[in-house]
Amino acid sequence: MPEIKVTPLGAGQDVGRSCILVSIGGKNIMLDCGMHMGFNDDRRFPDFSYITQQGRLTEFLDCVIISHFHLDHCGALPYMSEMVGYDGPIYMTHPTKAICPILLEDFRKITVDKKGETNFFTSQMIKDCMKKVVPLNLHQTVQVDDELEIKAYYAGHVLGAAMVQIKVGSESVVYTGDYNMTPDRHLGAAWIDKCRPDILISESTYATTIRDSKRCRERDFLKKVHETVERGGKVLIPVFALGRAQELCILLETFWERMNMKAPIYFSTGLTEKANHYYKLFITWTNQKIRKTFVQRNMFEFKHIKAFDRSYADNPGPMVVFATPGMLHAGQSLQIFKKWAGNEKNMIIMPGYCVQGTIGHKILNGQKKLEMENRQTVIEIERCEPGCCHLSLEVKLQVEYMSFSAHADAKGIMQLIRMAEPRNMLLVHGEAKKMEFLKDKIEQEFTINCFMPANGETTTVITNPSVPVDISLNLLKREMALGGPLPDPKKPRTMHGTLIMKDNSLRLVSPEQALKELGLNEHQLRFTCRVQLQDPHSDPDTLSRIYTHLKSVLKGYTIQHLPDGTVMVESIVIKVSSSAEEPNTKVLLLSWSYQDEDLGSFLSTLLKKGLPSGLSSM
Amino acid sequence: MRITESCSDLLSNPLGGNTAAYLLLIKYRRRYRSCLAVDEMGETSSVENEFDDWFIESLKIYNNIHEYQLEHPTRVIEWTSEKTICVAGYSSDKNEILELLLPLKLFTDDNQGLCAERDFKVVHGGFSDGSIHCLKHIPGTRCVVTNDGFNSNLQVWDLGGEDCDVIKRTGVLQLKSASSDKGVKIAPGLTGDPCVLHGSQISDIQLTELTSGKPLYSLGKDIPDLLSSLQFVSGSVFLACACNGDLYVGDTRNPSGLQNNPAGGREGVHWCMGVKTDLSSSDPSSCSVARLSSACQVVVSDLRDLRAPLFQAQLHVQRKTTSDDFMKVTWAPALDNCLAVSGFDGMVRIYDTASWRPELMEFQPLFIHRGHMMSDDQFDTSSAVVTTHVWHPSRPRTVLSAAVDGSVHVWDWVDKATASC
Repeated sequence: MPEIKVTPLGAGQDVGRSCILVSIGGKNIMLDCGMHMGFNDDRRFPDFSYITQQGRLTEFLDCVIISHFHLDHCGALPYMSEMVGYDGPIYMTHPTKAICPILLEDFRKITVDKKGETNFFTSQMIKDCMKKVVPLNLHQTVQVDDELEIKAYYAGHVLGAAMVQIKVGSESVVYTGDYNMTPDRHLGAAWIDKCRPDILISESTYATTIRDSKRCRERDFLKKVHETVERGGKVLIPVFALGRAQELCILLETFWERMNMKAPIYFSTGLTEKANHYYKLFITWTNQKIRKTFVQRNMFEFKHIKAFDRSYADNPGPMVVFATPGMLHAGQSLQIFKKWAGNEKNMIIMPGYCVQGTIGHKILNGQKKLEMENRQTVIEIERCEPGCCHLSLEVKLQVEYMSFSAHADAKGIMQLIRMAEPRNMLLVHGEAKKMEFLKDKIEQEFTINCFMPANGETTTVITNPSVPVDISLNLLKREMALGGPLPDPKKPRTMHGTLIMKDNSLRLVSPEQALKELGLNEHQLRFTCRVQLQDPHSDPDTLSRIYTHLKSVLKGYTIQHLPDGTVMVESIVIKVSSSAEEPNTKVLLLSWSYQDEDLGSFLSTLLKKGLPSGLSSM
Repeated sequence: MRITESCSDLLSNPLGGNTAAYLLLIKYRRRYRSCLAVDEMGETSSVENEFDDWFIESLKIYNNIHEYQLEHPTRVIEWTSEKTICVAGYSSDKNEILELLLPLKLFTDDNQGLCAERDFKVVHGGFSDGSIHCLKHIPGTRCVVTNDGFNSNLQVWDLGGEDCDVIKRTGVLQLKSASSDKGVKIAPGLTGDPCVLHGSQISDIQLTELTSGKPLYSLGKDIPDLLSSLQFVSGSVFLACACNGDLYVGDTRNPSGLQNNPAGGREGVHWCMGVKTDLSSSDPSSCSVARLSSACQVVVSDLRDLRAPLFQAQLHVQRKTTSDDFMKVTWAPALDNCLAVSGFDGMVRIYDTASWRPELMEFQPLFIHRGHMMSDDQFDTSSAVVTTHVWHPSRPRTVLSAAVDGSVHVWDWVDKATASC
């Protein structure tokens, strides 16, 4: 039976390591290759030994597909391709391909340069890894090889996020990655056509969540910023160069315009250009509104938001600053934070996740006193005046944590199932025990199976792919000629022919044609059978009696009594013989070809019963 | 655009006629509009302005506001613990019962800023074949009792524990009832073994033990008035409000005693009641009863004398629905003299009864929650009707409300008096 196997290799937690293996139609595909941000040991990468204990990754995998640039979906990629070793193709969308190496390098710096870890991938490895990447366009079908094809769909979530359809023959799987079913200020909603995959694989981190509206999240953000600015405080918003930053800028810009606010908003240098560059490059990936107005007005060129200069941080009065990096581990955001942390009028808004060990992570855990690490102080000595290098920072400013991540919740998952109409549903990264209700709900509402494999556990789905076969016209005509009712499309009907599998196509033709095409000689297969019979007549008389008997039983068949002492029923030959010792014990010899097997066995059964007594011998 | 215009006649008649078709139409129009909004970028419509105005206003008038969208609208919100509520669908066929965990953000008082968790979690869920019009939690248990609003059977459900997230039906109490097609009102018993007081009209009010289905008390009086609200005020004393506005006081220890307090001379064909019970005080007479009529009048009295109103008010409400189904009045458990009214339109109104007087006068609300009319598919503001609301048991100004479009809001308004000083 044809089957599709799905094995999740990643861990199921908030910021997990997404990695899923799919075997379909003899092809093996790895979906995402993420890193767990909460661990510092082996557990941060997916367990590739699941594959490598059987051989090299390159031999096993036909391709790797990355859904989007978040590190929990692509963070283990250089480790996998350069350290474990994989030389096959890696597919991702153009924006992901552009942004992914920046984030990987950023993360490498924190891990290696800051935390001093060894046994981690190098900058060169990131570069080498990216050379193996093949870019994907939306809705473009890409042939990985002769049989395996993949197609990307828009997923919302972040710039460049995609859902992928993987297809081999008539079997297919759709992997969603992270997706968002509601449009936001800079991205559209996820969309897929009614592609009816055999399996729809969806992340289920938010599957049992009912999300607070985007609007209320934004409202809270504005309220916090507004209150701080009103009381004359400064607001620091550490952001990644790309992602939610653009959205928050559009939001603040709109709000400032409307409320006629005067306090300055700054964007840390480098950030604007970099972000603008990518958004201009990938304008087709943003939402319709931004695309439409792009020609008249670039939504990412702001009226109220200006470029930041280091000296501005000491300016008196309220201001709002967006600065990189997002986790406060280095650079401009950290410098500004140090300057502002001591004033309780100020506020820092953390709009995203922070890796353990970073200052961002510490203040989110409510830490009020920060001892700066040695390595940092070394950097500080170079930049600061002597005397301020032994930093022990008192955190007095207000700390706010806000999550702006755009994920589909329980309702979104149902919407997507409705859109794609899969035959089976598979949820990864969830606690099966806590999702029994969701499973019941999906199974009841859509009458499909819902699976929730744990990590390392394989789900096997039997597929029923339809195999198209061409039937030759001659064969159909012959079938017609046999008569009978016209074929009913709803009912199966048996027909005979020869199946030729050649050049990736299947054809049903008449045996004669098959012989001709393949240049083969016909082989005859004949059955012979002996039947003993008591009949006190001479051999020719017995034959005549048999002839008469069959004539009366088999109406409508061609029955011949041939002069050479045989009776022929269609192609079946019947002969009579007897030995001199027992002249009344007749031995009938029946012989028929394979094609007349039915009639042959009928005749032998019939003759075994003997001949009726009242037969004339003519 | 053409679709929008051709629909407008039908739409001007909210909830009159074919409600299902009407709601479908709204959905369709909304979807259509979301395409329009993109096409007509640049021109901001008046609706969008109104929406933006409210958004900006909300910054000032709410401390917190959270807006959720359920897949199916609910007309029940019932607390099942300090941090969980139950909601359930009321469509005619299959429905879901969900137990939702409120976001952590609503419970952390110190360091609220460090808590980013603002989503509901579905902790338990189950399926019901029928509609759910009434849902009550039995205190001290993991059990809820529901009724579909069309027959007299009570469904008993086990909400499930830590090990399983499925809500299972554990039993059905089949009850005889005189006007069963109107559904049954339920009041959970407050003391002793789990039991429920229930009835469809005054005469068939009965107390039934949940585990055995044994009747513990029934009212022997022949009063065929339909029941609209039912509630215990102490271990044995209960209040029953008839649809015509009459109020009855019963005692489960004394089947023959029933005190009737006719409404008399007030306007409105349909009445419901909200009771403020102080369970810590042993004297049930201290509790206040507010009766709300379909003519938007509120009459407040207390148990010492239910005939004479302590004070009353005419509410200034323009009704957006002709149905009396969703009418609801509740007392704030942690805020003196305040009550909330909903069910006439898309708003929840909070009134401070401290200024009310014995004579009928019109009073303005202390606060109006307009959020349900400004939902994310903000187009049709006239169609929104609030189905129910509940107060947070301990946070004075936090209310949860739901509307016909499936929205559920949790909001905490700013007290102007304290904000200004």
